[in-house]
Amino acid sequence: MLASKSLGTDFHQSEKQTLFRFLALYILLTVIIISVFSFIYFELQKDLMLQEKKSTLQKYSKELIENLKQLHINFDKTQIYPRSTEFESAIFDNEKKLIFSTTQTKLRLDKILYLENGIIHLVNIPESYYLGARYIIVKIKDDKEWLKQTKKEIIVFSSLTFLFMLVIGYLLLRLFLKPMRDAITLLDEFIKDTTHELNTPVSNIVANIEMIDKSLLDEKLLKKIQRIDIGAKTVSNIYQDLTYLTLGNEMISNNEDIDIEQLVLERIEYFTSLSLAKKIKITCNVKEKTILYADKFKISKLLDNLLSNAIKYNVVEGEIIVNVDDREFSVKDSGLGIAKNDISKIQERYKRFNKSSGGFGIGLSIVSRIAKEYNLSIDISSKEGVGTKVRVSW
Amino acid sequence: MVKKIILALSLVFCFGGADVYKENCIKCHKRLPVSIDKYFYKYLLIYSSERDMKNAIISYLNYPAYETSVMSDPFINRFGIKKKSKLSQEELKEAVDVYWDKYKVFGKLR
Repeated sequence: MLASKSLGTDFHQSEKQTLFRFLALYILLTVIIISVFSFIYFELQKDLMLQEKKSTLQKYSKELIENLKQLHINFDKTQIYPRSTEFESAIFDNEKKLIFSTTQTKLRLDKILYLENGIIHLVNIPESYYLGARYIIVKIKDDKEWLKQTKKEIIVFSSLTFLFMLVIGYLLLRLFLKPMRDAITLLDEFIKDTTHELNTPVSNIVANIEMIDKSLLDEKLLKKIQRIDIGAKTVSNIYQDLTYLTLGNEMISNNEDIDIEQLVLERIEYFTSLSLAKKIKITCNVKEKTILYADKFKISKLLDNLLSNAIKYNVVEGEIIVNVDDREFSVKDSGLGIAKNDISKIQERYKRFNKSSGGFGIGLSIVSRIAKEYNLSIDISSKEGVGTKVRVSW
Repeated sequence: MVKKIILALSLVFCFGGADVYKENCIKCHKRLPVSIDKYFYKYLLIYSSERDMKNAIISYLNYPAYETSVMSDPFINRFGIKKKSKLSQEELKEAVDVYWDKYKVFGKLR
């Protein structure tokens, strides 16, 4: 979202999801790569430390072997195991059975030099098995200085790499988004230009039709005029939608208390000629009067889109029921309905699931944007072949 | 009752083994200037584990040879190679078990 904002592009939900997925995958991959390199570096540092300590351990081991040799020779006189303050030790026979150990910890003989539980171990095999000792282990405590240093280095290196990769990721994102941004800008520019050119002729047609005295017209001409009226209103509607869509963000809201019942009746009246063309019956049920504090033009746009869709996607001789209740209204049609899987995507811009009727697929996108602006809740329920109900509540 | 029988049998075997060791090993080695424990530590130096060491001793007692002896050349030159043991394999095993228990390092180090 931050990226899309900073790039000045209003992305769709699915596009945002793609961006987030890309970012998540990129970050995950970066973290994995850094972790792998950190692990390899850690292991190398550990090996380096072990090699440095090896000579000390070998010296202790040699000292222990010498003492074991003396004890082996004098075992009939003394049985005191040779100990040292500098290291711990243990001896095993060739079947890896413990002969003696200065500590109680469990020891491994499968490695020559290893670090376990903060103790460095060296396994040595003497030339002669004094006291039967085939394996001699000497161990010293790890001072962990190398660990502190390595941790510090890994944190610094990982942080710098992560930041570097983030910058690279951001640049990549910009690169990937460019064609998408260009396409959306181009479409918006096209709509803006088209609507601007449509404005004057459409206004002229609508104004002139309204000025015609219909009582003077014969039936045949009246029908023709009504058809022109429907056509002009449809074009006017599309023009308003497109204007809202392209200039929506720049429009200043003029909020006021709107009597929803009155607005609904006004808009039904406006769509009467359209609905009559398809012989659709529009019923309005007002259960309770309700008021909404919002911009009248925008709510009117919202309602127009719902009514327009209900007419557009309805069957001939169908029915539309508009209900007004406390803090809600709904538009229900007896149309084609929307598939269950498509309901969640219906509010996306330019998304159309039925191409049999005209339109740009922007109607519900506008509804969704207006609803979002005024915190209105949109609930769409639909059944294919039965109809769709859109409920708006606040 | 079972416990008593097991205990009795163990004692018989134990003392039986001890007898074999005493009668057949100590008796001869007493006459030598090198005490019997020195041979044990010579074997331990080469064979390390209990199983390997016992097998090596039994093998040598069955087939004594210059090549398989653990003793030094001057020792062999002076005292020669011992004769083949006339003891049965069970008796040899018992005697070597007693020998191991007597001189083993396990549990003796402090």
